[in-house]
Amino acid sequence: MSFFVRGIILEQKKEPMLTRSTLVMRHEYEYFDCDFPDIALDELSREQIIELARLAEIVDESDGKLLCEKLEKTDLGEGGTLIIDAVDDEPYISSQMSGCIHHPEKVALGIELCEKVLSPEKTYVAMYKHIFDTNFSIPKKIGNYKVEKIGGRYPAEGRVYRHIPKGKNAVVVGACAMLHLARAAEDSRKMTSCFITVAGDAILNPRNVEVPVGTSVERIIQLCGLNEKPEVIIMGGSMTGRSIFEPENEVVGPTTRGIIALSRGYHNPSPCIGCGRCDHACPKALSVSTMRKLAEFGDFEKLTRYDAALCIGCGACSYVCPSRIDVAATIIKAKKQMELAKKEGTL
Amino acid sequence: MNESLMFQNAPHVRQSESVRTMMTDVIIALVPIYVMAFFYYGPRALLLGLSGILFCVVFSAIGALVLHEKISFDLTPAITGLVIPLLMPATVDYFVIAAACAVAIFVVKLPFGGTGNNLFNPAAVGFASAAICWPAKVFSYPAPLQTLEIFGENTAAMAQSPAYSLALGAVPEYEVLDMLLGSVPGPMGATNIFVVATCGIFLMVRKTVNWITPVSFLLPYSLLLALFPRIEASSFDSLCYELFSGIAIFGAFFMLSEPVTSPKRDFGKFMAGITSAVAAFLFRYFGELEMGFAYALIIMNVFSPLFDEICEEILHVLRRGGKLKKVFFEKKPKEKTEKEEKLPFVRVLKKKKAEEAPAEAVEENTEAEELSEEEITEEPVIEVSFDETSEEEISEEENEEQEEKEPSEDEKTEEEAAV
Repeated sequence: MSFFVRGIILEQKKEPMLTRSTLVMRHEYEYFDCDFPDIALDELSREQIIELARLAEIVDESDGKLLCEKLEKTDLGEGGTLIIDAVDDEPYISSQMSGCIHHPEKVALGIELCEKVLSPEKTYVAMYKHIFDTNFSIPKKIGNYKVEKIGGRYPAEGRVYRHIPKGKNAVVVGACAMLHLARAAEDSRKMTSCFITVAGDAILNPRNVEVPVGTSVERIIQLCGLNEKPEVIIMGGSMTGRSIFEPENEVVGPTTRGIIALSRGYHNPSPCIGCGRCDHACPKALSVSTMRKLAEFGDFEKLTRYDAALCIGCGACSYVCPSRIDVAATIIKAKKQMELAKKEGTL
Repeated sequence: MNESLMFQNAPHVRQSESVRTMMTDVIIALVPIYVMAFFYYGPRALLLGLSGILFCVVFSAIGALVLHEKISFDLTPAITGLVIPLLMPATVDYFVIAAACAVAIFVVKLPFGGTGNNLFNPAAVGFASAAICWPAKVFSYPAPLQTLEIFGENTAAMAQSPAYSLALGAVPEYEVLDMLLGSVPGPMGATNIFVVATCGIFLMVRKTVNWITPVSFLLPYSLLLALFPRIEASSFDSLCYELFSGIAIFGAFFMLSEPVTSPKRDFGKFMAGITSAVAAFLFRYFGELEMGFAYALIIMNVFSPLFDEICEEILHVLRRGGKLKKVFFEKKPKEKTEKEEKLPFVRVLKKKKAEEAPAEAVEENTEAEELSEEEITEEPVIEVSFDETSEEEISEEENEEQEEKEPSEDEKTEEEAAV
């Protein structure tokens, strides 16, 4: 029943990248010196693990924060949950999932260390399960840790919290950060690389790559080869990323999930025919079609009445629009203007 | 590499369906109906359809030329042109179709801003106006299974349509199966119920038409028809005769479901379906015209923005955790009247003018000041109230609002987690 269903079904297009092994760009690894080189992994104390994360300069790819600060400041309390985020719900992107799948032991070791610091009652790995266009089946366990499959329609990132007990705390940590933590503990290796999905119909050899942080986008595209001349190059996810003009000047960071080169962009939006598909797609049940019109006219007072502040910017409305209108971009822009106007006090 | 890259807004993956595919679906669904019309009435039916397309496309091109717009190749005028002849008998003159198309394009569509902005269904209004102007031509039907002359005088044998005899209170002399197959006199597209329903189901399966619209119209409509029969027959027979004799089934699939003029949300579509069912039934039961459906559709189009508003209000409550009290009984900040809104605008003007001409042009500056002073002195009382009392009130109430809103958000996150 479409009365209650929110969100959209996306063609995931993960296939060649997810099952292929990760391509590692050759670079020199950096190592750090620590004060406790001879202690076995089981006997590491809480402070020592945090020190390891600090020395290795690990950045959590799910939110861009330093892992050591996150581990130090988080207090889960009683009955807390540790969630390992490997939910790649955007099409093409599979960098976190492939990290989990191709290096399960290392990720499991990282989770074990993380558990020692946070001492949660429950730990699980969250993965997106609705990937229909592949024969690949999601593993039931990563090491000893259960994989909770996050189902449902597109904006699934917010649903990682659905398996936690009521009224208890939870913390989300990225899967690739766990991998780097394990490397730091085993080999005292610094985090100098990041996992990135290179995909799109203009890419000759689409796959997941591990490249040093700060590699330019052009170099990464050269690594995978170009099929034809791309018209759009996107940095980030396929639903929320931004298109870039100068691939030789743009560099990747730990939070970059993917680079997508498309041979053809979207041209010539036609006028809105008011089919109301955007209203149905919205995961927050906003009246998107009306909001777009209000945003175009700049009627901010009415937009507040329509709860524009609740928009999460997932882009589902633009995806379903048969007229190819940039619905989400219009509303997000108006939202920013609204915030500015509120600061200035004109609204 | 650099020069060829283009900018594109955030979702870089899009659905394969576009407006063009939706419109093509509708045209594909209309083709079998024209084939059936060709079978019953000969090549004149096809020519009427082609002339409908031609008139609508040419008229919209003329409109684009007059308005100095780019001539677009969208298929919506073609669909309007295809639907209008199907609502009329096969003997109708070409100029009637031209007039209906002219009304649809020049009165309904273009003045409101072209495709996507029309308030009423163009085909319905075109047909309704033609029915008012030439009722004798639009409501006199030829007997089926005869080849009509393509041009010239109409020499075909005419017959009484079942809808007309129903309006007189007589039981039609046709069998129900004939009415389903379409071999009864009537509008050339709407009589063959089997084909129309199949094409409608095709559209619903393709999701070009939301299934809620036709279902929520046809179910209450047939229920009303069964409950209040006009003829002396069993309610089932009466229902069959009534339902299969008009343009209701054709209209439910091809006109009611038009995306521009129908409500956007499912619940709104549901309400619109019921409204149009009641209106169509009332037109049929009390009105003298045979085809009341077009007028019912126009009435529904009037209400469709209201249904959208109602849906938005319901969702507004639901987004706050279903607490009516919070939404409706909370203190709202005092709404600014029009005069109050003017005041900050005047101040801004004054500032801007002062910036533009700082010291050199003293004259302009004084002018601006004079202007603003005049405008302010017109409403001195309001300014005082705005400065002293209302601002404080508003700020206090805003604080209250924020305090009230915070717990609701917490509840929401909990709910989401629970879901």
